[in-house]
Amino acid sequence: MTLANPFRDDLRFERRVPECALVIFGATGDLNRRKLMPALYRLAYDRRLSAGFAVIGVSRTPMSDDQFREKMRDAVQHFSEDTEFSPEVWDAFARCLYYLPGDIGDADAYSRLAAKLAEIDKTHHTGGNVLFYLSTQPSQYAPAVRGLGGADLGQGSGWRRLVVEKPFGHDLASARALSEQLHHVFRESDVYRIDHYLGKETVQNILAFRFANGIFEPLWNRRYVNHVQITAAESIGVEGRGAYYQEAGALADMIQNHLLQVMATMAMEPSASFQADAVRDERSKLLRSIRPMKPGEILSNSVLGQYGPGRVGGAPVPGFHQEPGVEPQSRTETYAAVTFFIENWRWAGVPFYLRSGKRLPKRVSEIAIQFNAAPLAIFNGAAENTAPNLLIVRIQPEEGISLKFLSKRPGSGMNLRPVSMDFSYGSSFGERSPSAYETLLLDAMLGDATLYTRQDMVEASWAVVEPIQKAWRESNTDLPAYPAGSWGPPAADEMLARRGHVWRKP
Amino acid sequence: MASAAALSPDRILRDLANVWVTLGKQGQPETGMGVLRACSLNLVVVAEETDEFQALGETLAALMPEHPARTIVIRYGAAPQPELSARVFAQCWMPFGQRRQICCEQIEIAASEKALDDALSLAGAVTAADLPVIAWCRSPRLMDRDGFRKLAGLARRVIVDTAPFSHAKASLARLAELVGQGLSLGDLSWTRISRWRGMIAQTFENRERLARVPGEVRIRVRFGGKEAPATARYLGAWIAESLKAAGIQVTLTLSSDASAAQGELSGAELDGAGLRVELSSGNGRLRVKMEDGLEHCASHPPATDYLLMREELGIVGRDPVFERTLRAAAAL
Repeated sequence: MTLANPFRDDLRFERRVPECALVIFGATGDLNRRKLMPALYRLAYDRRLSAGFAVIGVSRTPMSDDQFREKMRDAVQHFSEDTEFSPEVWDAFARCLYYLPGDIGDADAYSRLAAKLAEIDKTHHTGGNVLFYLSTQPSQYAPAVRGLGGADLGQGSGWRRLVVEKPFGHDLASARALSEQLHHVFRESDVYRIDHYLGKETVQNILAFRFANGIFEPLWNRRYVNHVQITAAESIGVEGRGAYYQEAGALADMIQNHLLQVMATMAMEPSASFQADAVRDERSKLLRSIRPMKPGEILSNSVLGQYGPGRVGGAPVPGFHQEPGVEPQSRTETYAAVTFFIENWRWAGVPFYLRSGKRLPKRVSEIAIQFNAAPLAIFNGAAENTAPNLLIVRIQPEEGISLKFLSKRPGSGMNLRPVSMDFSYGSSFGERSPSAYETLLLDAMLGDATLYTRQDMVEASWAVVEPIQKAWRESNTDLPAYPAGSWGPPAADEMLARRGHVWRKP
Repeated sequence: MASAAALSPDRILRDLANVWVTLGKQGQPETGMGVLRACSLNLVVVAEETDEFQALGETLAALMPEHPARTIVIRYGAAPQPELSARVFAQCWMPFGQRRQICCEQIEIAASEKALDDALSLAGAVTAADLPVIAWCRSPRLMDRDGFRKLAGLARRVIVDTAPFSHAKASLARLAELVGQGLSLGDLSWTRISRWRGMIAQTFENRERLARVPGEVRIRVRFGGKEAPATARYLGAWIAESLKAAGIQVTLTLSSDASAAQGELSGAELDGAGLRVELSSGNGRLRVKMEDGLEHCASHPPATDYLLMREELGIVGRDPVFERTLRAAAAL
């Protein structure tokens, strides 16, 4: 019989993943409990997983398969946000869960993993396909990949793929070094660098919005766009991750990956097709077109800051230095705002303002595209009669797109008022959106890397972020402080004011 | 939030506009607490006076958050006074955690049997422009009347339900005849087996299992009662046609299952050399067992009108797999 499934019905059934085993390193860790396992359970609940599917959790803690299943059951019950827990669906899913205790640095653990994979291939018909997921500390990536290579697990009778979580290095050199280590065992096309922002429905919708509609693309350039603001604000602080966070900071944790990827998606050229590499080529080209700043430009085009004590929601909250695990003298930024310019014909001269911070007034991620004002003000000159058009793409929460324009107020005078034309994901498509991890896990199993980051993209991002990190590290300037619950340091407002712009308050 | 309307399309549309003016005044756009109109399609529902209107209203209200539509409900039957009347209102809900209501428009037209044709003309004139029109025909009687063609003429797709028909074979034949004449139809009996089909498709998303499928497969579909219901016919025909398309010889048996309730689809088996796939349903779960001892289980909630229509409203064009299966099922 032909190997194409004759029962497929693409109109009604979602994409089906091929049979495979998923090996999760760091299986007892937070990411697996909070994100991966709930996403996998949801996929099982929706019958999206292949009949030939199994998970092997790997971690140091000694545990039996049943104990692991019990732990994962608790995690799914606790962290699944919008999925009914069905004991029967769980029992069927849990039969596909296995556990292998082992240390990532121990070569013997990989031999046992190879034996377990062979056994599971026989019982679960996983077709020799294996997806390895490194849900560990970044320092464990290289030893894990070395171990897999040592046991010859990087190749087999089916496909072998590797998913890596950010950070992909802490600067350009370390990103390249990491990549070389991965490439000793896996080809670049088999490495899936996960950036969960790209898995969000709204970020994917940017591509649909731009390239499936004819009316916006003609406006999408320097002739009509005045400037772009991309914001990822969090109202929480470091939330117990102080020790990790002070090694990363807002530039490396958010701007180098999430926000530059969003910016690339928003500003890239149309790709010739929706094939993974066609889309990623355009994204990569855009990232490589961002002008790296010269040392003398950096301090006037970037602002870093640290939150101090303040009040959020009427309650006092500690400053960054008072957070547990944070060194009192830490110079790690909890806020970063950067002005980037893209050197291509489409965007030359258009400032892209990116900002991200913790302990800002609310949790919001959005792209705001401000268009040039009408060339001539023929109505009376009150400020509200000249407001520029704004296109807002809200990524979270309340995903949607709004267009702000001026309209005449009813009455005798020609008084204008900004009004908003809103598309709300929630109201137009009330159905549940899959979580970013559901989307990305399925994509990796299907071999679709469109929403994953490629090494050249990682390097291009570091090439523009690293000089900023370096300049701030070498400067003797104190990081400006901002009170928790405010929109960041005043210097960030000044950075925009120099070009006559103002941050939006989302 | 209802208002009476005289029966010109202009009057109905004016009343609809007034509904928005009223809602707009109640809201406070400056504080983000206004109302948001949501409309992604037109849904024309034709139901007889004897239908369960309260349940229908609840189904439509549940559908709106996922498929926001201008809904036009035509209620026809024993002559009301006057013969044609209409009212308009908005169906609103407040999404959790938000401050702004989302509202959809609803137009309800009551018509006598005689005035059904006028009601359909009126419905055609008050649909929201440039958006697809989907019709849901809840009246089995209408399928044999001219009105059905008129309904099909104003909609991209008409959804019917063959379950209430007393003779499944005859109803499928009638449906196949209409599809053969170029009508784009959907049948909720077909939607009822989506989960079964999904489970079977998932089972064969495995190269090893596909490679093991023998050249000859016996298919058995089990049901409650004496005559095979439309669901059993569809499922049997779909499995058989799919396998035939892959070059497999099939033998299909539809067999009565004494332990199943009348009209219930209770199980399906695919059997052949080295292959056995057995599906069964019960307690809200669908289970599949395979020859190698592997078992899977997925949720299988009762097929309410809401769940069925939710799936069907996601399809605005023709459904080639359904149409192909319908032809085969009608011939069984």
